Amino acid sequence: MNDTSQEFASPANRGKLKGQNRIRLLGIAFTAFFAAIAVQLGQLTLLHHAAAVNPELAAHEPRQPRPDIVDRNGVVMATDISVSSLYADPRKILDVDEAVESLTANIPDLDAKSLREKLKQPGRAFVWLKRQVGPEQRDAIYNLGIPGVGFVEERKRVYPEGRLGAHTVGYVDVDTKGIAGVEKFLDDQGALYTASLNEPGTHTSAPAELAMDTRVQQAVTDEVSKAIIKFKAKSGGGIILNVETGEIIALASLPDYNPNAEDKHLTSDQQNKMTSGVYELGSVIKAVTFAMALDSGTASLASHFATGAPLQIGKFRIHDLHPHASQSLEEVFTNSSNIGTAKMALAVGLDNHMEFLQRVGLLEKLVTEVPESARPLLPRHWSKLASATAAFGHGFAVQPLQGLSVIADLINGGMAVPPTFLKRSKEEAQALAHRIIKPETSDTMRYLFRANVEKGTGEKADVLGYRVGGKTGTAEKVVHGHYSKDKSLASFIGAFPMDHPKYAILVMLDEPQAIPGTYGFSTAGWNAVPTASNIIARVAPILGIEPQFSPEDLDKLAKQAKAQKKEG
Amino acid sequence: MIKLANAFLVVNVLIAAFFLYSLEHATRALERNIAKTEKSITDERERIKLLNAEWASLTRPDRIQKMAEEQLGLKTIQAQQFVPLADIGAKVPQTPPVKLEAQNADAIGKMLETLQ
Repeated sequence: MNDTSQEFASPANRGKLKGQNRIRLLGIAFTAFFAAIAVQLGQLTLLHHAAAVNPELAAHEPRQPRPDIVDRNGVVMATDISVSSLYADPRKILDVDEAVESLTANIPDLDAKSLREKLKQPGRAFVWLKRQVGPEQRDAIYNLGIPGVGFVEERKRVYPEGRLGAHTVGYVDVDTKGIAGVEKFLDDQGALYTASLNEPGTHTSAPAELAMDTRVQQAVTDEVSKAIIKFKAKSGGGIILNVETGEIIALASLPDYNPNAEDKHLTSDQQNKMTSGVYELGSVIKAVTFAMALDSGTASLASHFATGAPLQIGKFRIHDLHPHASQSLEEVFTNSSNIGTAKMALAVGLDNHMEFLQRVGLLEKLVTEVPESARPLLPRHWSKLASATAAFGHGFAVQPLQGLSVIADLINGGMAVPPTFLKRSKEEAQALAHRIIKPETSDTMRYLFRANVEKGTGEKADVLGYRVGGKTGTAEKVVHGHYSKDKSLASFIGAFPMDHPKYAILVMLDEPQAIPGTYGFSTAGWNAVPTASNIIARVAPILGIEPQFSPEDLDKLAKQAKAQKKEG
Repeated sequence: MIKLANAFLVVNVLIAAFFLYSLEHATRALERNIAKTEKSITDERERIKLLNAEWASLTRPDRIQKMAEEQLGLKTIQAQQFVPLADIGAKVPQTPPVKLEAQNADAIGKMLETLQ
């Protein structure tokens, strides 16, 4: 500094001074430049090394995979596997005829004519030739080395359990977009749930856990399909529901379909009848009327009803199949008396009846994860007659699942728990539940259900040791606007073990026929009830129900053992 | 003095360049390794998925049921066949039906052999 100020005075040094100033300026500029780079470098490497995400890279990350679907024990029900799909770039194909010839030789199910048309589109840069080609065919085509033909890795959804539980799981289209069952739920309403399964940063996702138990599902499917063959029914179905958590442990609707099949042209019979169809469940609905009358206090176990003469409402008469002069409340239930039940509903009153149906949720569409869901069909005019017939299930059609769910709520202590196809804990269920009837009413309902199996229409449902209770229903089907005498829908709704119900069961058979073993009867007591009994005998051990025997049960067992010894 | 400093800087640059180059080389090798490992993890995951699907398909309850009915002749378990833990002592037979030690061999294996 001193030097420069001294030299400043001499004019001869001016030029030298100018040059030095320039160098200094340059030096400052360089220092500033390198300092800037150093600061930036420090920021990028020391401070931001974790947070720095290139937005362009992020956009090209592979999208999150579709979650697997597993049953409650982790058995895989739907999963993605990687497959190759064959495509072509028609602009690059040199000899169309040769390409067509060698491709059809290796993939026999390719149609030569449509293939030639596809390859002759000069403007196109991409056409699919065949989706999901097997590994051997893929290698063969690779070895042909046709220019302009290549493979893209694609995901394919497979259902290892096949037909088992197909209605619950649903299926996806060729672009792996869910179009039925829980698969559709994962894409639509359940998108939030699907997103919650994703494990960040790993491109993997936890499986969606169903409430279903494949072993129970198999027992239900197997027994119902045997029953359909045995009783020559058109179709049938069965459901097992956990009454405490609302979990649907098994849901079978037969005939079913294979979700792995390429083209599923489902007939209306193959639809999920347990949720997408509405049926008049008949006498099963009487249980709702009983719960209403008991809960409102207009009837009690001590009540008696005059059921000798048909009940006249306007021009309409309500009859009983087996007339009795007077019946107690319990007998009205076990004999399934239409007159008695209609009188109970009328005693409660029109508005209260409507209000009760609203409270148990029978007026609204039941919404679960499975999108195939039907709205209940109700009487158009809520009159005295409509109320009296709805009391025993006429003119009042609901989804079978909804019917079962309501009955389950009536016997589980009176708490309405929305049914679900996904795994749910007891705590989650309690948070969702709300009270619909008093616990005492629920106790009486349990007593009635058990009494009906001990000495009523559901007698054949009893499985010694598992304390089964239930109600049968045989509804005449409506054919051309009239109730048909020979076409009926037989159903049974029950629960076990009745002293502390854990599981509710529904069995439904559409148009069962009388067979030699049923003495000419085609009512539910002869077909749906024994089917339910077979199912309970098979699933109770799987579900962990501890057998308990009453003295009467032990007597029966001793007799059975004796009879077997004689035969043996 | 300046020459010495320059020579020192040149040597430094050479050393730094060599160090940088070898570092970059090593980094590339590591990156290749990571990519390879990630690829094999994905492949392995894919294979696990495939095997899981195959396992689920082979242990389908309907398949097991069919085989059990055809091969084993088992019946549905009855409620009265369950025995509480307290009563189990009374149900043990005096002489075991299959004497494992006496036969001095794999008794269950023999049963399987006779089945075949």
